[in-house]
Amino acid sequence: MKRLLGVALGILTAIGGFVDIGDLVTNAVVGSRFGLSLVWVVAVGVVGICLFANMSGRVAAASGRATFEVIRERLGARAGLANLAASFLINLMTVTAEIGGVALALQLASSVYYLLWIPVAALAVWLVVWRVRFTIMENVTGLLGLTLIIFAVALFLLKPDWGMLAGQLAPAVPEQETVWTYSYYAIALFGAAMTPYEVFFFSSGAVEEGWTVKDLLQERINVLVGFPLGGLLSVAIAACAAVVLLPAGISVTSLSQVVLPVAEGAGKIGLALVLVGIVAATFGAALETTLSSGYTLAQFFGWSWGKFRRPAEAARFHLAMIVCLLVGIAVLATGVDPVLVTEYSVVFSAIALPLTYLPILIVANDPQYMREHVNGRVVNVLGMVYLVIILVASIAAIPLMIVTGAGS
Amino acid sequence: MTSSPDPLLPAPPVAGRVLDAQLHLLDRQVLDHDGVPVTTVDDLELSGPAVDVEIEPGTAAPVVTALLTGPVLGTRIFGGRPPSSRLIRIPWKDVAEVGVVLRLGISGEPLDAGWVERWVRDKIIARIPGGRHDPR
Repeated sequence: MKRLLGVALGILTAIGGFVDIGDLVTNAVVGSRFGLSLVWVVAVGVVGICLFANMSGRVAAASGRATFEVIRERLGARAGLANLAASFLINLMTVTAEIGGVALALQLASSVYYLLWIPVAALAVWLVVWRVRFTIMENVTGLLGLTLIIFAVALFLLKPDWGMLAGQLAPAVPEQETVWTYSYYAIALFGAAMTPYEVFFFSSGAVEEGWTVKDLLQERINVLVGFPLGGLLSVAIAACAAVVLLPAGISVTSLSQVVLPVAEGAGKIGLALVLVGIVAATFGAALETTLSSGYTLAQFFGWSWGKFRRPAEAARFHLAMIVCLLVGIAVLATGVDPVLVTEYSVVFSAIALPLTYLPILIVANDPQYMREHVNGRVVNVLGMVYLVIILVASIAAIPLMIVTGAGS
Repeated sequence: MTSSPDPLLPAPPVAGRVLDAQLHLLDRQVLDHDGVPVTTVDDLELSGPAVDVEIEPGTAAPVVTALLTGPVLGTRIFGGRPPSSRLIRIPWKDVAEVGVVLRLGISGEPLDAGWVERWVRDKIIARIPGGRHDPR
């Protein structure tokens, strides 16, 4: 019974923890401009993140090594450092975007200007990282994030023409858009679904929680059930935007437009729930990204790390996270639009993907690490296919960004 | 130009495990005897013969004398070499086990390799309220 509860809890937190500010904004933007014609990218991205999160979790459980240790061992110091620089900067952007997201959601709830919320949000993130136990942190934000299901409820309450909505599912470029913007947003969606911090956090979390090969089954269920359901949540966000914002010709440039369809479909209660959900989801993701910035640095340089240790026993790890939060506050204090930071962070994520996922695939085949838990053939074939997809997305991202003027 | 060297003899058979320094030692995590991370192996120190010195036939093969860390990571990536006074060494005799990670047979606390960690801990992190709170 306790085990069953554990599995249920794991799935629920995986669903609630799947969506972050990148998914929220990108899906709403895409829904309002392209309808559901890019849903297939979400599906591709979700399968990919399932594949590699599961692999990195298995490496962590079998060998006790988290992803960035593996990256440095396999890529060597030089390529490892290049990857660290890229991943760390993107992660820092994502921390900034998530804290901005928390502040924007609190602004919607309280009408207090978001810049005033930023120090509060960052301080709250730091306090949780400093003091709260890992499992509690993960479960509370994950469960509260489940209120985002209101997007799916609102979709039903909006009573859309389901036939027309299903007709949009086929991949096709809408009339008013070009094939370039379509591809650009495809890469953005893919990057949002497969952001590298998710595997850094997932594998380090497995070490934090002391997973062993006995926990592999539960880990697999969490990922294979939780992430796809989280992906459905992303699709619901896009569908809401496609039903309300697309016909009205509203393009999403702020968080208030993301929640507009929910307010229209589910009223005040819906709005209240969606705000709780967004605060929880972005706050949870702010925690994950802040921790990930500490994890990547500590694992590359071999520092002592982990929330399971006293902060004094992982001093540089905690100092690094404090500095990251301060940098995030400083960037947001310039008045830069957090939604814009988010849109850029997901595309840059797509660029850094290959350097992160290749070493995981290599080590997951290394018997010295994995013993009998090396990848099966099917997983390897899928992994290779995804590496090609990831590489194409990564190479195409910057040219497309220039050609489309970042999607405008 | 002196006479060309004799062709190398094939490597003698060795008992036990063969380690590839690049693959099994460099860039691996180092843990102390309590499993606390100490550093990553940033470079290795080998015993003579020195570079650019003619190697006499019959000279013993070089052996790994220490794991190196500190500024040597920067020079390994960007080139050059730090003065030997700035190398932080962990003598090879302290290495107890080579596996997926390198385990030391000693505590990491007094090692030179941990001075930055100790400095950050004593000057900053331990002074923040709750810095010594055990999360478990």
